[in-house]
Amino acid sequence: MVHLRLVETSMEFKPDQAAQKQDFRLILVDLAKSRDKQLFMQLYDYFAPRLKSFLVRKGANEELAEELVQETLLSVWRKTASYDPAKATASTWIFRIARNLWIDRLRKEKPDMLSPLNSYPEAGYTPSMAACDSGRLKDALGALPQQQAQLVYKVYYEGKSHREIAEDMDMPIGSVKSGLRLAFDKLRVRIGGES
Amino acid sequence: MNCNHHPDDSTLLSYGACSLPDALSMVVACHLAVCDHCHDKVADAEQIGFGLMEQEPVKSISKRSRDSMLAMLDEPVAEVCSETPIISDDLSDGDIPAPLRPMIGQWFSDLHWRTMAPGMKQFILPASQGKLRLLKIAPGTFMPSHGHSGSELTLVLKGSYSDELGRFSLGDVADVDPDMSHQPVADTHEGCICLIATDGPLRFKGLVPRLLQPFFQL
Ligand SMILES: [Zn+2]
Repeated sequence: MVHLRLVETSMEFKPDQAAQKQDFRLILVDLAKSRDKQLFMQLYDYFAPRLKSFLVRKGANEELAEELVQETLLSVWRKTASYDPAKATASTWIFRIARNLWIDRLRKEKPDMLSPLNSYPEAGYTPSMAACDSGRLKDALGALPQQQAQLVYKVYYEGKSHREIAEDMDMPIGSVKSGLRLAFDKLRVRIGGES
Repeated sequence: MNCNHHPDDSTLLSYGACSLPDALSMVVACHLAVCDHCHDKVADAEQIGFGLMEQEPVKSISKRSRDSMLAMLDEPVAEVCSETPIISDDLSDGDIPAPLRPMIGQWFSDLHWRTMAPGMKQFILPASQGKLRLLKIAPGTFMPSHGHSGSELTLVLKGSYSDELGRFSLGDVADVDPDMSHQPVADTHEGCICLIATDGPLRFKGLVPRLLQPFFQL
């Protein structure tokens, strides 16, 4: 039985990615009990460079990005007990901490900035695709019709609003919205959520 | 709360991706405070984003940072008291939604409403991207029919209104397609308060100009 499941898994994921994914969830759970520093540093070595890249993309300079990476991962180390593997993948949980620290930083620099961003829901709710693997995600994105993939790219990688995308791609806002709607639907279905 | 009208999925996707202009984000945040259904979709949108970012090319971390991380693991956790004042989100303590309270307090009746037209008052909120306002419409009052050049989100905070798209009550969001013009009318005896965000023509690119942009020009 165990053997069969392993075979299924390796058909669905690239084996190394699947293994890695499993590990990080388990590592977080393990860390809460073991407080094993060497184990934590494995997590650090994987996430720190990715978080830094994420923060630089958001607009942080190298130095600030690295500072926030430290803050994020220290907070991970201290909060492992509150991690619930049923509610979020390790990366979602960790990236969310980084995102919130980044928004906090923005608000400190500009205290009266209207920042509903601090109203992002905290981890009290369950994404429908808690088990999603980022390799599958990339495949799902690749399977979208080209225009929809482009719309998703502009939202996530370029941070553009619907109106800006409409201008960029010379199409009505209504079409931008319907394209994104369809793409979101397909991504959720392919990755295991419901539409 | 059971809402009948939700933000469009494309709006929730952009919110989860941190790409919605902040005026529009505030409307979504106020809706999320009462709608679990949309919460879950935003969670999915976030997860997609983090999953994609995880696969991006990485940036190397200095050895000094790695070493100092190791050292910090042994530090005792200082008891920090939260810097942000605790703002009540209890509905008996005010009628303004929790995400807006840090800016304007607890009660709509304490705001300095400005009369726009007979039966219509407004209160402008600052936003760095897009425009955000509260609108109070007396019972039976029609808003002027309008369309828009960008996105528009309207959230009902008190009473209800009807327009060509249907009836909107407490917690409902109208995510209006810009090609559509509509003419809302407050349709109950108590009148209607709405939070309205529009993605105006003015929007700065890049983080620094956004931070420097002065408040505000309505
Ligand atoms: Zn909703």
